[in-house]
Amino acid sequence: MIELYHIWKQYQKPHWAISDISLEINTGDFCFITGPSGSGKTTLLRIIFREILPTEGQILIDGVNVLKIPDHKIYKLRRTMGIVFQDFRLMFHQSVFANVAIPLQISGLPDKEIRRRVFNSLRQVNLHHKMWEYPDRLSYGEQQRVAIARAIVNRPRILLADEPTGNLDPELAFEIMSIFKEINEQGATVIIGSHDRELIRHFGHKIFFLQKGKIIGQEVKT
Amino acid sequence: MIFRQLKYLLRAAGHNLWNFRGRNLISILIISFSFLVIGVFLALSNNLTYLGQQLSNNLAISFFLKQNLPAKEVEEIKNTIMDSTLIESVIYVSQEEALSRFTANFPELQEIVTNLDSNPFPPSLEARLKDKSISLSAITAFIDHVKRQPGVIDVQFNQDWVQKMESLSRIVKAVGFFLGAILILASFFIISNVVRLNVFARKNEIEIQRLVGATNTFIRIPFLVEGFILGLAGSLLSILILFLLIKIFPLYIGQALGAAEQLLALRPLTLKQMFWLVVGGALTGTLGSVTSVSRFLRV
Repeated sequence: MIELYHIWKQYQKPHWAISDISLEINTGDFCFITGPSGSGKTTLLRIIFREILPTEGQILIDGVNVLKIPDHKIYKLRRTMGIVFQDFRLMFHQSVFANVAIPLQISGLPDKEIRRRVFNSLRQVNLHHKMWEYPDRLSYGEQQRVAIARAIVNRPRILLADEPTGNLDPELAFEIMSIFKEINEQGATVIIGSHDRELIRHFGHKIFFLQKGKIIGQEVKT
Repeated sequence: MIFRQLKYLLRAAGHNLWNFRGRNLISILIISFSFLVIGVFLALSNNLTYLGQQLSNNLAISFFLKQNLPAKEVEEIKNTIMDSTLIESVIYVSQEEALSRFTANFPELQEIVTNLDSNPFPPSLEARLKDKSISLSAITAFIDHVKRQPGVIDVQFNQDWVQKMESLSRIVKAVGFFLGAILILASFFIISNVVRLNVFARKNEIEIQRLVGATNTFIRIPFLVEGFILGLAGSLLSILILFLLIKIFPLYIGQALGAAEQLLALRPLTLKQMFWLVVGGALTGTLGSVTSVSRFLRV
């Protein structure tokens, strides 16, 4: 369970990127955070996986106060998460395989297991035939799929994705969402920042509406 | 699991060394130059120590005696010398033997001696010291004691030369270490900067690794391995260059130095010296990396 209590974030005075957000996401939820550009979706996701710290407020993940975890132990939290960054954050001088394998290498899995899992992840995003290419030779959409494969390769308990279908055609976007749904059905909590209304309407189970850093509405489909 | 991670990290270090090979090659050359300077001074100092040892091996105290001294008195003086714990052996050198030694050592001066009516060389007792490291003050006290014996007219002892050679060797070594220390410090900063550039070039990669759950140690190890290899390669290269210098030096420069050739010759490093040079190189490289990576990991 992810609980956010009165989260405030200020990058520069006097503007608040996030203003007093409190929300609860249950284990196994498939939820969307939506809103126009600049509404604070990315900031909120970055706070959840502690890439940045909130100016005020508390975050609990499975009862553990994330902000109290010392820097040198934060890796334990991140290993339970899969993250799709809006800007992909790929290593351009390393192959697609190496990019996807990195969370597994860090965990010290055997080479054979790494190869198997990387191949499966790439096959899920329909990119297994480009395993040995370098990301700079791939299209924008393909780079995005590499980022998705990296996020799901470690079978995370929590999957955070920031505009994961932003550069994909509707058909592929639908496929990617189906993969996320599949991971969700296996027990993972999925949180997606997106403004794609069609996808949200189709897949959204719990939806948080953001505007100017505030939650202006919440919808739960049963 | 640790073994697998280590394998991955070593492979990553290898990739990085290759990817930034130009920059890394320059740092290897700079490190090797720094260690070469130390190596050259060590080789010079080795030579001076060697020369000092050669001198001290031939070290003897010559007690010159009055001419025609009765054999009994010679024996008494010999016994006085042998009574000392400093002395290993004593031999009697007669006037004739002294003359023949002189003519053998300086054949060009033979004519002067033959023109003389009598043999000008006094008989002597040559005493060899037991231990080369006996202090000068103990020897001086012993010489004064023997000198007081009637029949002894003069004493010759060249230990000051040995000591001069030894102190010269110490000075050369000290200068070498001083210059070397400055250069090692310089190479330490160079390695540190090269690694910092490498870290900076891979800032994006480091950030990704951290965000997908890498520990600081996991991020740090490839850089440490790189620093270690740069330092190790630099110091090994310096030993190789020094070896070539020792081979080439006498062929091209040695002869031009004339009499100074023996003093300025390079004598190969001992295994222990080479070991410490290599250890020093590897340590400089690793420490250079540690400082720069630690600084970057705080970002």
